[in-house]
Amino acid sequence: MFIDIDCSQMKKYNQNAYGDYFVSKRYPDEAMLIAVLSDGLGSGIKANILSCMTATMLLRFIEGGQIPIRKAAEIIMNSLPVCQIRKISYSTFSAIKVDDDGNAKIVEEGNPEFIWIRDNEVIQPDYDTIPSKTFKNRKMRVYKINLKLGDRLIFCSDGVTQAGLGGGRLKLGLRREGLIVLLKDKLKEHPDISSTEFSQYIVNQARNIETDRLPKDDISACVLYFREPREALVFTGPPFHQEKDSEYARIFANFKGKKAICGGTTANLISRELNRPITMDTTISIGKLPACSYMDGVDLVTEGILTLTKALEYLEANTPDIDNAAGKLVKFFLDSDCINFMVGAKLNQAHYDPALPIEIEIRKNIIKKIAAVLQDKYFKKVNIQYM
Amino acid sequence: MDKKISVNVCLGTTCFVMGSSNLQELIETVPAKYGDKVEVSGVPCLGLCSIDWEFSKAPYVKVDDEIIKEATVEKVLKAIDEKLKK
Repeated sequence: MFIDIDCSQMKKYNQNAYGDYFVSKRYPDEAMLIAVLSDGLGSGIKANILSCMTATMLLRFIEGGQIPIRKAAEIIMNSLPVCQIRKISYSTFSAIKVDDDGNAKIVEEGNPEFIWIRDNEVIQPDYDTIPSKTFKNRKMRVYKINLKLGDRLIFCSDGVTQAGLGGGRLKLGLRREGLIVLLKDKLKEHPDISSTEFSQYIVNQARNIETDRLPKDDISACVLYFREPREALVFTGPPFHQEKDSEYARIFANFKGKKAICGGTTANLISRELNRPITMDTTISIGKLPACSYMDGVDLVTEGILTLTKALEYLEANTPDIDNAAGKLVKFFLDSDCINFMVGAKLNQAHYDPALPIEIEIRKNIIKKIAAVLQDKYFKKVNIQYM
Repeated sequence: MDKKISVNVCLGTTCFVMGSSNLQELIETVPAKYGDKVEVSGVPCLGLCSIDWEFSKAPYVKVDDEIIKEATVEKVLKAIDEKLKK
């Protein structure tokens, strides 16, 4: 299973720092993911520091597997100081450790209980309560659950469940019940919604029910979605042995998932072998990149080296949503979980003419760099096949 | 003359960096000048640079069947004019 995770946040109004802190990390070797959401007492910078410390320390404790998640959370719960004025703990937290098979351990201290949705119904899991040895009335909940394909987990700060508190319509705020209704309605409408969109939706809805649409507390929503990985294939460069063109073209045609072609010669090759015409976008290329082309059954057709080089630049600089061929290629990558590259090893002599700009790189090198950034920065699974 | 003249501007990597990015203005200027007698479009690659590479004559443009090497806007317009005269 692939775990699609994202978190959206909104600051309390008039504050310039987030009082909630979210951190998550994937461990590809152990096929595992850890995520922590912490809510710091108060708001602004002070809350930001408290929640950031709690979240990052908890993540450090859990990773590496030296301390079980339950023990790590207990240490933090027992050590968090108490605010002199409010007599409550400095921060609250939720943490999850989950593997690709869906075995999850979750701890919560002070945060609203997470919501587990399967087939658009909420599941109420059992939990153990562990009281703090050092502080009265402080306790944490520990869950051990098994997730299945299609399940969703929603963690949020109390800024979501208490949204609208004291306002006109909802005297007691949105509360867990209200949030569940919102979630179910949205899922009925968009059963396949991504975690990014879903978390943004929750945060926006919470803001909308606040009086004057001004958040009275920091609002955070973290969503985990367990689903089949989205597969993608990128065909770039003609194969070294021309007689294998038709074989590779067939592999490309039979691939189940999204497909892209990067390269003019490559596009012509596929067009010829599969007998599918290419039409070029009639708009003038934007910036310094050739425009995209269109082919039946292919999601994206672009020029090769220049577009790949630019896409690598965008991926490294984290600049999505750029309206050119490389921007579209970046979106294609980011909308996939497992990305397969078929890289042709044939060289085009013309690219080695010294008259050409130095930026024209060897295809294999660019693909290697793109694969590295997709893996390390965007947590994608990448396969490269040379042909 | 009934048949349209077709102009294909190669937008492959070599041609693009060697100047066809500037030839794209033809997509707008040619219809303005010749109306619907001439049709201009980009193509992903004409495949000429890899055959003709030692001469480095990119960018390439094809006006009907005629290949224009080291194409410029002027050269392409001249070729269109000559075709229209025939």
